[in-house]
Amino acid sequence: MPDILARLVEILLVALHVLIFPGLLFAAVGGLLLAGIDRKVLARMQRRIGPPIVQPFYDFFKLMGKETIIPAAARPGIYKAAPVIGLVSLSLMMLFFPIFGHKAAFGGVADLIVILYLLTIPAVALIIGGSASGSPFAGVGISREMVVMLGYELPLVMVLLTVAKKVGGGSLVFSLQSISEWQLESGCLLFHWSMIPAALAFLLIIPAEVGTQPFDVAEAETEICEGPLIEYSGAPLAIFKLNTAVKMFVMTALFQVLFLGGINLGEYWLLGGALLFVISAVLTILCMTFIHAFTARLKIEHLFKFYWTVVAGLALVSLVLVWFGL
Amino acid sequence: MSNFYVHFPVISVMGLFLAAFLVEIFGSKNKYVRYIISLIACLAAAAMTFYLIVPVFLNGEVISYWMGAWAPEGGYAFGIGYEIDGLGLFFGLLTALTFLMSVIFSWRYMSRDGHLGHYYTLFLMLAGSVLGLVFTGDVFNLFIMIEIMTFASVALTAFRHKKHPEALEGAFKYLVLGSIGSSMTLLGVALLYLTTHTLNMAQITALISSQGMQPTTLLAFGTMLAGLAVKSFVVPFHTPAADAYATAPASVSTLFSGMVNKAGIYGIIRLTWILFRAMDKEALMLLLSILGALTMFIGVTMALAQHDFKRLLAFHSISQIGYVLMAVGLGTNLGLYGGLFHAMNHTLFKGLLFLTAGAVYYATGTTNLDKLGGLAKRMPYTTVCFLAGAFAISGIPPFNGFASKWIIYQAAYEKALLSGNIVYLIITVVALLVSVMTLASFIKVTSAVFFGQTPASLERTGEVPFSMQLPMFIMSALCLAAGLFYNKTVGIFVNPAVNAATDPAKYVDTMMGDGYAFSHGIAPQPVTFTSVSIWDPVFWLILFVIVTCAVTLVAMSGARERGPISLPEKTADDKHATFFGGEKSLHSHVGGSDLFWGFKKDLKGYFRVMDDLHSGRTNDYALWVVLGTALITLFTFIFMS
Amino acid sequence: MILINYIVAICLIALGLYVMCAKRELIKIVIGMGIMDYGINLLIVSIGFHEDATAPIYTLSDIINGNLPLFVDPIPQALTLTSIVIGACVDAMALSLVIMLKRRYDTTDADEIRRLKG
Repeated sequence: MPDILARLVEILLVALHVLIFPGLLFAAVGGLLLAGIDRKVLARMQRRIGPPIVQPFYDFFKLMGKETIIPAAARPGIYKAAPVIGLVSLSLMMLFFPIFGHKAAFGGVADLIVILYLLTIPAVALIIGGSASGSPFAGVGISREMVVMLGYELPLVMVLLTVAKKVGGGSLVFSLQSISEWQLESGCLLFHWSMIPAALAFLLIIPAEVGTQPFDVAEAETEICEGPLIEYSGAPLAIFKLNTAVKMFVMTALFQVLFLGGINLGEYWLLGGALLFVISAVLTILCMTFIHAFTARLKIEHLFKFYWTVVAGLALVSLVLVWFGL
Repeated sequence: MSNFYVHFPVISVMGLFLAAFLVEIFGSKNKYVRYIISLIACLAAAAMTFYLIVPVFLNGEVISYWMGAWAPEGGYAFGIGYEIDGLGLFFGLLTALTFLMSVIFSWRYMSRDGHLGHYYTLFLMLAGSVLGLVFTGDVFNLFIMIEIMTFASVALTAFRHKKHPEALEGAFKYLVLGSIGSSMTLLGVALLYLTTHTLNMAQITALISSQGMQPTTLLAFGTMLAGLAVKSFVVPFHTPAADAYATAPASVSTLFSGMVNKAGIYGIIRLTWILFRAMDKEALMLLLSILGALTMFIGVTMALAQHDFKRLLAFHSISQIGYVLMAVGLGTNLGLYGGLFHAMNHTLFKGLLFLTAGAVYYATGTTNLDKLGGLAKRMPYTTVCFLAGAFAISGIPPFNGFASKWIIYQAAYEKALLSGNIVYLIITVVALLVSVMTLASFIKVTSAVFFGQTPASLERTGEVPFSMQLPMFIMSALCLAAGLFYNKTVGIFVNPAVNAATDPAKYVDTMMGDGYAFSHGIAPQPVTFTSVSIWDPVFWLILFVIVTCAVTLVAMSGARERGPISLPEKTADDKHATFFGGEKSLHSHVGGSDLFWGFKKDLKGYFRVMDDLHSGRTNDYALWVVLGTALITLFTFIFMS
Repeated sequence: MILINYIVAICLIALGLYVMCAKRELIKIVIGMGIMDYGINLLIVSIGFHEDATAPIYTLSDIINGNLPLFVDPIPQALTLTSIVIGACVDAMALSLVIMLKRRYDTTDADEIRRLKG
């Protein structure tokens, strides 16, 4: 019996991690705040006043209260389940990050690969959901989303391999915990000159992953009316919007863990760590906002070419440098 | 050897062949007679094969059987021997499962065709030959089984030639290229006999180990490897596979991808790991890995360009075999683990996918992606099974594809680090990328076939009968189970197969008498392998359920003040209509071939080259095979001597 | 001289492969398959050959006396027989497919029988 009890407590603890911190609730609040900051800063850059920073919260709760309409051509089960599955995999991903210099709630030897897979699931959920809605605009949207995914997946894989090789030296390290410990000893990966191209590549991957301008081809409101989301309304739409915000948060957290993990704060680790986390998350988002502010949407074929040449090239430079021990 | 089960392998093979003739004699008129004969033969063969799990996998025995009790005399094997070690049984199980599922599926699926007596005869011949191929311990017998396999496959490919004349074309190409492959295998067998004066695999293993590599042995190795590569449809030998898989009935395509190309892979593993012990030859193994990576990439990119459901699946089959070959070519135990596990998973999910394609064909009469659409509402069970297979092949957790692909990535990357060879790193990246492309092309199929608008001609489509759903359900359940309990699966099935491949001493001794292996320089090598723990899938499932419940709860709690969730009704009002932006709904279904145009446009140079290479001319394909064979043979000579 | 056998065998195999790669006529492709088979059969028979040897038939007295005559290896001959039978079957099957193709496509030119491509 005590065995089962212990197992139960373990599961409850994990459930707590998943639901509150650093999982669902934390990621949702953080993500919505980041989205608010993004919108505000963008507005200021465009000489607008912009919405209040908490506007994404209002939007979310407003949408939750709206009626959910399911089109006649849709497949109701998959249509409703898709956003939830996306959100679940995103909040599971948060568990792998050692946040605030804190130990990761959930870690293993294979974090990076699992993360790579978990990152594809929200995109797949969007695609499946859009596909299940039966709209031709969604059809165009999902094909674009898929091509975007193909585009950024290659550089992303290369960046992750670069990090694993750099940290591992002669072997492979896929554990985020070890990566962040390694950085504590040898300094942030960002400050190793051979890793700078990889970091740049990763910063360029974030907007495509999140789907902001100039890489928002899949949801292009002005041409295909939000693509996969065209038929969505009410709570499922709210969750999809939340997914985008959480994805933003997850990607910034991942950037922070991979490239900015190595500042030793001594006894102020909790406060300092939290502060550092906020600062680096906001800075990462600001990079994204800058790009957003001064570019227009790319065409899908340009986007694909951009990722497979420029971004993959940057990642390749780092990979080769690291391979030769630099 | 007084155990009764030593007779099982030979009875199961002979039973299938015998039933093949019985069907032709008694079953050409009555459909029940011929089906019952086929079903009983398949069930019996499968049951006997599954029974062998106990002695071979659990007790670690190696079963040997001499035809006519012609045991070796004076250290020389004269008779034809059957020998079942872990590796052989592993592939035997895959074979048994595949033909069992396929025969159940065939009952209704083939019911609209004529000449079914011939169908079941050929079906049983194919099943028996593959089972014989993996159980035999004699290289010439291996060649015979390969020939029977090719024969039955070709005839089955052409089975629906009345309705689809392209089937004849596919069959002819398959026969021509297949016969080059068989001839190369025969050449290799003859040359092997020239140096070792025996045809018994166990003795060949021992003699090559003691003689070392002579030029003739090398030539034999090269030609046999090329011949078996033709049989497993590795690039550049893959061209007939796409044609044959696409034009054969779906139940036969299931056999092709579930066991026929596995037979080739079995041969390659047997040849490189056991007969020639070549896994330490870095350069040769690198060739296998590069061929595997090429196969993966070319297969998946060709799949992205396809318009036909089954042809697309065929290219995926090629691509997944590339994964297996790549992993086997790493030459490490971990690689072999990943490769064998992936071969098993490929049998499960690709069999499942071909069955769903068959169900779609049965219900709608077409497999053209541009003519299908919106079947999810009309065929819910098929859709669910298809999604399970699609997720499994794309490697999405918690399905089995994820577990095996992950082992392969890890093996490839480890090899890259150990050898310091950057080619392995590129191969790892290619493997990860191919996984995403696989996902992409299955998204395409999902949205083109099961979601979207239903064409008017398919309004009256219904779900397929239960006897066709049953195999699909079993396969889906196995896909999920192998992923969730991957530790158990690997422990029971893959582990003994890897042990058999890395430690042939017992294999040789059982056949040739104790001490024979040691006297020829094969020392027993206990496998030192620590199992990799990727994750605890059950734990994850619990997590996933908890979070899904939580999120759903949150989603529901916001719903208090709004009306009920609207469901579409028979007389849908404007609110439930799909937004078409002014287009006529008739023309607004996004067909399968219209997806991914951005991707295709950027890579149009590549696709044009690929299109030229897959020209459809028999001569060009033959040239590919000849060039591939020459390449493999030359490579063997340069890097193995 | 047995070497000539090997040379001829290799030449036959090469010729067969050449015909299969170069000739567009389906019947000729089938002939190419046949030629390749014959080459391999010749090779297998030659493997079992011994100079100045007899057929592997000997009497009980030969065994008792221990003066076994030098004999030709019988196994390659058995293999050749099997291989010839299989080769004949392959050719028959290929020819029957050619007949059907001629009926359905109305040609036996490999350049025109290419509906399955890409």
